[in-house]
Amino acid sequence: MKKLLLIAILSAGSLFAQVKGDIEVPYISYQIKMGKGFDAVQANCLMCHSFGYIINQGPQSREFWHKKIEKMIVHFKAPITKEDEKIVTDYLFKHYGNGKLK
Amino acid sequence: MKRREFLKTSMAASAAILGTTALSAGETHQPIDTRKVSDMAFPEKRPLITYSDRPPLLESPRSTFARGITENDEFFVRWHLPDIPTYIDTDSFTIKIDGLVEKELEISLKELKNDFEQVEVTAVLQCGGNSRSAFTPIAGGIQWGSGAMGCAKWKGVRLSDILNRAGLKKDAHWIGFNGKDNAAYYETPNFVRELEIEELNDHVIIAYEMNGEDLPYLNGFPLRLVIPGYYSDSWVKMLSNITVTNKYKSLFFMDVAYRVPDNKCECETPKHKFKPTKPITNMNVKSVIGYPENGMKLYHNSHVVVRGVAFDDGHGIREVLVSVNGGKTWEKAELKQENGRYAYTEFRYSYKPTKYGKLTFMAKAVNRLGDEQPFAKDIGWNHGGYKYNGIDEVTVEVV
Repeated sequence: MKKLLLIAILSAGSLFAQVKGDIEVPYISYQIKMGKGFDAVQANCLMCHSFGYIINQGPQSREFWHKKIEKMIVHFKAPITKEDEKIVTDYLFKHYGNGKLK
Repeated sequence: MKRREFLKTSMAASAAILGTTALSAGETHQPIDTRKVSDMAFPEKRPLITYSDRPPLLESPRSTFARGITENDEFFVRWHLPDIPTYIDTDSFTIKIDGLVEKELEISLKELKNDFEQVEVTAVLQCGGNSRSAFTPIAGGIQWGSGAMGCAKWKGVRLSDILNRAGLKKDAHWIGFNGKDNAAYYETPNFVRELEIEELNDHVIIAYEMNGEDLPYLNGFPLRLVIPGYYSDSWVKMLSNITVTNKYKSLFFMDVAYRVPDNKCECETPKHKFKPTKPITNMNVKSVIGYPENGMKLYHNSHVVVRGVAFDDGHGIREVLVSVNGGKTWEKAELKQENGRYAYTEFRYSYKPTKYGKLTFMAKAVNRLGDEQPFAKDIGWNHGGYKYNGIDEVTVEVV
């Protein structure tokens, strides 16, 4: 049921493309931290949004990140497995956490 | 575009994120104002503060608030879903009106421009989460500074004229709007917005022009809904479907997101979230200083003209007051109101700094109902970081 989305078109492109022609939105390689669980983050999060969406949320609690992932599963219907839910939560809290569980 | 430039862009956007202290009460303060515009430009845009490329999230810098009309290439951008058509065939594009109507319509862009009365309204478009970075603990969502807003002249046709041509059935009660943006998964809900028929008036239009040009692609080309006075989550972009129903359908973006506590202060604490909640609709009174900017140096005894913009949900701005002594005393700024009650009111305030060192300008708008902006610290916290309208502050150095 997955609809394939063309992601990560790393292209120089013409940044001021004409609207009536094909629009090319630039790709930005946001500097995201590497670490345990990153593969799961890449596989589950990047399908729908850039890493900019993650790193511009500010440092957050573990509960905050877990609720974000739940929102993606419950409301946005992202097919994230139970196992990955935990891996991604751990990764986000470790690298983009504020040290607080709640 | 070189890779090095990509990196600089991403670092600029991710820098300057507030540290957090877990305050059980929740606090508000000035929004973050240290973010720089990116080195990279998106289509039809000059470089803006860039939070995400997919979906595109771009913020205007403070300098845009020195003018009453925001130029198209510096107007902020906020999409929710990642899959935005990158090609629109203007010859075959149609907007469909269906559901509880006497006659289903499919109107082409050409018909829209030729067969209906063309109207124009100047109105402020503002994200409900604009200035969200003013909230501590951090509210979920993009940590916008003050630049998720702009004001433009929108040209199009009245929604009511289109609905009249289709003819509403007797039990018609809700109008749902959907655009051409899609999620990565079929199961993800569309970004649909519903309005009650009672909420409609002649100012609600379907716009194809912004400031005399086609809508920029990133602002919803070729058509978007314009609801003056309402926050921008209701202004559906790349509008392609209007469906009239008798029953309200549950919608994520109205029922879960974009809601504030349904109490007088529209506030709560992080520990005690308030139920029930209500959708954000009408904008509250707000003003932002466009010049000078934080950190600028001004000359002692020079002639400074503080400039900015103020607006509300269409009741109109009565006055804008400026303080240079931390809010102890206020003086009236000069106003320029030439684009109607939904537009930015421009304000100017002349000042001659006579003391060296730090100088803080504050601006406070009051609307015709007498509603006035509170100090940032007096705003109640809410979990979504919505509807921030604290008194704006800019601190400069007199040298």
